[in-house]
Amino acid sequence: MKFLCVPCDSPMTLRTVSPPERGSLSVVYTCPECGYEIAMLTNAYETQIVQSLGVRIGPAETAAKSAGAGCPFSAMIPGVDAAPAAAERRDGGPDGVGGSALDWTAAAEARLARVPEFIRPMARTGIERFARERGASEVDERILDAAREFFGM
Amino acid sequence: MKRYHEIAGDGGSRVLEQVADQRARIAEGLAGVRHLVAVGSGKGGVGKSTLTLQLADALTARGLRVAILDADFNGPSQARMAGVQEALVVPGTEKVALPRTRSGIAVFSMGSLLSESEALDFASAARGESQTWRATREFALLGEILASFEWGALDLLLFDLPPGAERIVQYADYLGPRTSFLLVTIPSAVARAVVGRSVAALSKAPNTLLGYVENMSGYYCRDCHAVKPLFTSGPGPSPRSVRQERAGGAAEPAGLGIPCLGTVPFDPELARQCDLGTPPAALRDTPVGRSLDAIARRLLDSLTPTPAADRTPREHGRPGKEPEP
Repeated sequence: MKFLCVPCDSPMTLRTVSPPERGSLSVVYTCPECGYEIAMLTNAYETQIVQSLGVRIGPAETAAKSAGAGCPFSAMIPGVDAAPAAAERRDGGPDGVGGSALDWTAAAEARLARVPEFIRPMARTGIERFARERGASEVDERILDAAREFFGM
Repeated sequence: MKRYHEIAGDGGSRVLEQVADQRARIAEGLAGVRHLVAVGSGKGGVGKSTLTLQLADALTARGLRVAILDADFNGPSQARMAGVQEALVVPGTEKVALPRTRSGIAVFSMGSLLSESEALDFASAARGESQTWRATREFALLGEILASFEWGALDLLLFDLPPGAERIVQYADYLGPRTSFLLVTIPSAVARAVVGRSVAALSKAPNTLLGYVENMSGYYCRDCHAVKPLFTSGPGPSPRSVRQERAGGAAEPAGLGIPCLGTVPFDPELARQCDLGTPPAALRDTPVGRSLDAIARRLLDSLTPTPAADRTPREHGRPGKEPEP
């Protein structure tokens, strides 16, 4: 979707994306020629269809930095954590049967970021359980490598 | 007034750019895979998943490096059958590691992530309208999996598809013409008719349709060691086809208009071992195992030769075996 400033016949550029609110995104476009602004307000279905493509809207530097917890569209705004779906709450999440969340070293966290966002919470919970079973108080790269070896990966 | 195609870019939403990036990441992730083969059927319950795993094992026994992507996210069965139900998702230094069966088959299945009492669910504020976005979301997830996991250097990546003729076409579109298709049917006229529609649907796609396998083609009796009829209504393989197959040639097409790569009898022991997640290698020296080995050979014969995949050993992985000449 592109936006055109009719008086200037000039393509408009995305300026801001507001945090999702009840499934609606507010995306502001501005005309670089005359400064005219418009806001695109999506309904939940429109938002969901774009989100289903697995994309994020807008450059990270202009994106909203916070959103209401549990908002299903937060994943499409750079810098905002995704809300867990039912499938992502396996084992009860950090406070579920796996016990309280462990600390992760920066290097281990960086590796975890390579896991697809949808399954990342499941990966985190499983690895923390693995670490806890071995008496570890934090997850570091040695734990990750040990898990790989244990499961023959 | 300017028209859509006269405007370069999208003003900063970067949606198309991100979709293109995803495609590039998928292509990069699969660069070391020689053959992509999707195993599908318009009909459910014909044994696609079982056949996929058994075929992977037969190919592995021939020295090939094989992985399975269980693309049936809503009804995953590979994790249990392959014995990787308890495996964790563990990120490596570059990509995410794949669990392996004892015989070395790498397997991705949502069944390793979701307990059998859970259904795959996506958070959405557009509930009650999932028909408008659900398939798109599932394909985006497939793309993330293809791009993020360590497929590495493989001879074959087998996709275990969900049932449905329309799903087969969607996967053909998403995976692109590089992916070849193998269909599965059973000797029932009803199943064959539905699979026939899949053949018709795929005929409009640029993908190669390698042929089909007739599963549950008879019943292997472990008492008398004979293969007896299981279905009596379907056409089954013709006597000539059976003779041809026994002589080592490919079975004859029997009504679907595409090559039949072979027939596999039903073996209750196979079903039991799938439930238990026992390694398929245990059945190699049985009528089922021999049928699958013959199908594996014909499958390899039917694949277009491609340049050898990178032989670099995987991170923490075992060095790749050389495929048979």
